[in-house]
Amino acid sequence: MTEAAIPSGRTADADAVRADRLRSGLRRRYARERRFKLYGLLAIGVAVGFLVLLLGRIFDQGHTAFYAHSIETPVYMDPARIDRAYPQGTNFELLVAEQQLARMGVQDDAQGARAAAMRGLFSSELKFLAAERIQAEPELIGQTVRIAAPLADDADLYFKGEITLDTPAAQRRLSDEQIGWLDRMRAEGMVSSHFNSALFTRGDSTEPELAGVLGAVIGSALMLLVTALIALPLGVGAALYLEEFAPKGRLTNLIEVNINNLAAVPSIIYGLLGLALFINWMHLPRASPLVGGLVLALMALPTIIIATRSSLKAVPPSIREAALAMGASKTQTVFHHTLPLAMPGVMTGAIISMAHALGETAPLLLIGMVSFVPGIPHGLTEPTGALPSLIYIWENASERAFHERTAAAIMVLLAFMIVMNAAAVLLRRRFERRW
Amino acid sequence: MAPPTARHSGEPTAPTKIVARDVSVFYGEKQALHEVSLDIPDKTVTALIGPSGCGKSTFLRTMNRMNDTIPGCRVAGRIEIDDEDVNARSVDPVLLRARVGMVFQKPNPFPKTIYENVAYGPRIHGLADGKAELDGIVEASLKRAGLWDEVADRLHAPGTGLSGGQQQRLVIARAIAVEPEVILMDEPCSALDPIATARIEELIDELRERYCIVIVTHSMAQAARVSQRTAFFHLGRLIEVGDTEDLFTNPRERRTLDYITGRFG
Repeated sequence: MTEAAIPSGRTADADAVRADRLRSGLRRRYARERRFKLYGLLAIGVAVGFLVLLLGRIFDQGHTAFYAHSIETPVYMDPARIDRAYPQGTNFELLVAEQQLARMGVQDDAQGARAAAMRGLFSSELKFLAAERIQAEPELIGQTVRIAAPLADDADLYFKGEITLDTPAAQRRLSDEQIGWLDRMRAEGMVSSHFNSALFTRGDSTEPELAGVLGAVIGSALMLLVTALIALPLGVGAALYLEEFAPKGRLTNLIEVNINNLAAVPSIIYGLLGLALFINWMHLPRASPLVGGLVLALMALPTIIIATRSSLKAVPPSIREAALAMGASKTQTVFHHTLPLAMPGVMTGAIISMAHALGETAPLLLIGMVSFVPGIPHGLTEPTGALPSLIYIWENASERAFHERTAAAIMVLLAFMIVMNAAAVLLRRRFERRW
Repeated sequence: MAPPTARHSGEPTAPTKIVARDVSVFYGEKQALHEVSLDIPDKTVTALIGPSGCGKSTFLRTMNRMNDTIPGCRVAGRIEIDDEDVNARSVDPVLLRARVGMVFQKPNPFPKTIYENVAYGPRIHGLADGKAELDGIVEASLKRAGLWDEVADRLHAPGTGLSGGQQQRLVIARAIAVEPEVILMDEPCSALDPIATARIEELIDELRERYCIVIVTHSMAQAARVSQRTAFFHLGRLIEVGDTEDLFTNPRERRTLDYITGRFG
């Protein structure tokens, strides 16, 4: 079979050349494929790397915010200093500070500067704690009570290692003397740490150890509620109309182009719109969840419309035809068949656009939600804060302890996002039907 | 060189249910049907045959105004069911489609339970007073479609979980649940295997005692098996119509002969 010509003009030689060509070509093709896969992996690696870096840094900075230190100390409730009828009037901090100094054998000076320095180590919450104790159990007056006195933010930071002796004394917030006392207390086993529940149960405060995210979380939640109530019906309704009922023509196309553009408009423009329309013209209360929710609803609307439209488009026409052929009217076809089948996509789009809206800060700036708001909101018309603006405020605060709390607040916001996105995935799975 | 009118042979013995006169259908500028005139008798199976793209499905869809759902589609001419023009302004297509049911090529049950599939039509048209009556309608329809024995114990299973042949029978049950007068079938067996096809053909034979059936089919053998009247379409025109046996054994038109002998198709 060497020289014999195979029918159709092929020789064995030509076949060998062809086989060689195929083989070397194959090598190149496989090499290209491997390179392409490598590029893909690299791209994913870079993205994941950045994500890990980001989350790692945030966690690193923020995890210390979740616990706080306190001093377990016996306090003698001096009846001479405590008014039985009005315990809140007593300066408990000074009381505890003086007793602590005495216990450590430190002599106070004439101006009471040492007592003031010791007092500065304790949080102002101490007086509320002590006063509550006395109010609940007045018989404690005259006795010695063990109290877990929460520390002020600087002392707390010292125990977390944020403030060290390495910094020169002039730049430190704690004096050498105060650090010495703290070391002694730690050596005597008086220092304990506990979960920083204040972070989750209290609203914003100028004192870092008393500052919490609850006010902002509730503010954000109220805003999201308003956003959902407005944007969902409007968005899904508009998309249904545009996709199913509107006559196909130039006007519909024009509307569609405009909606697509609106989805790309910078969010701060929506803030300007909110300011002009809701606050200046309609005189709605500034910085309220109502206004915030309205502005975010406007922002979320184009995304919801686009997501709903594409889900509706994805419903196979055979189902629509089957329904119409049964004698279902246009509206019945849409609501009994098309919309239920499009539901997974609609819900995903809705939840994702709201998760997006949750994290927007720029529009909130313009409607006034970036001011200090202590306390927990109770309604839609009171001024409140929101999580993104809280993060902004804390980041700009001067107290060092807000550093870790900012990262903690970011973690809370991220947790919110993850929960919402997970809900989107779960709901999508549950409602997905096969046709 | 098309003859001005189609060749009609043999008068149908049953009363005429549907009358089409000079029906033309335009998709935008393109004309898909050219002045088709045809009488379709009641309680009979009429088969529409012809090569791909000859307009038989288009003609089928004029009878229940499903062409209305296609943007840019225009229908000219008269189509009368029981002497009533279906395109008249006074006729609501929703009600028309309760009288004229349709079965499609690919089975398309709703992604609901079997029960819900069959009950949908009676429900939206308000044909049942209360659950007991609705249950009765569902059972009767499934029995008439020959599916009851297989699904009686799982009426609340999803309709999409059935086999292809069962799904097509479910779709037929769904169509007859509203007690239509006419059933239009657009190549109902082309997506099914031969055994399922045979069952559907049996079913069609049973159904013709109650309904006027018009079936579009690619298979001439099927047309010969199942229908009593056959109409041959070509390039948007009706070429010949007549009793099935006559048309297949003794066609009058050259083109009909060429088609049924497989010269083109």
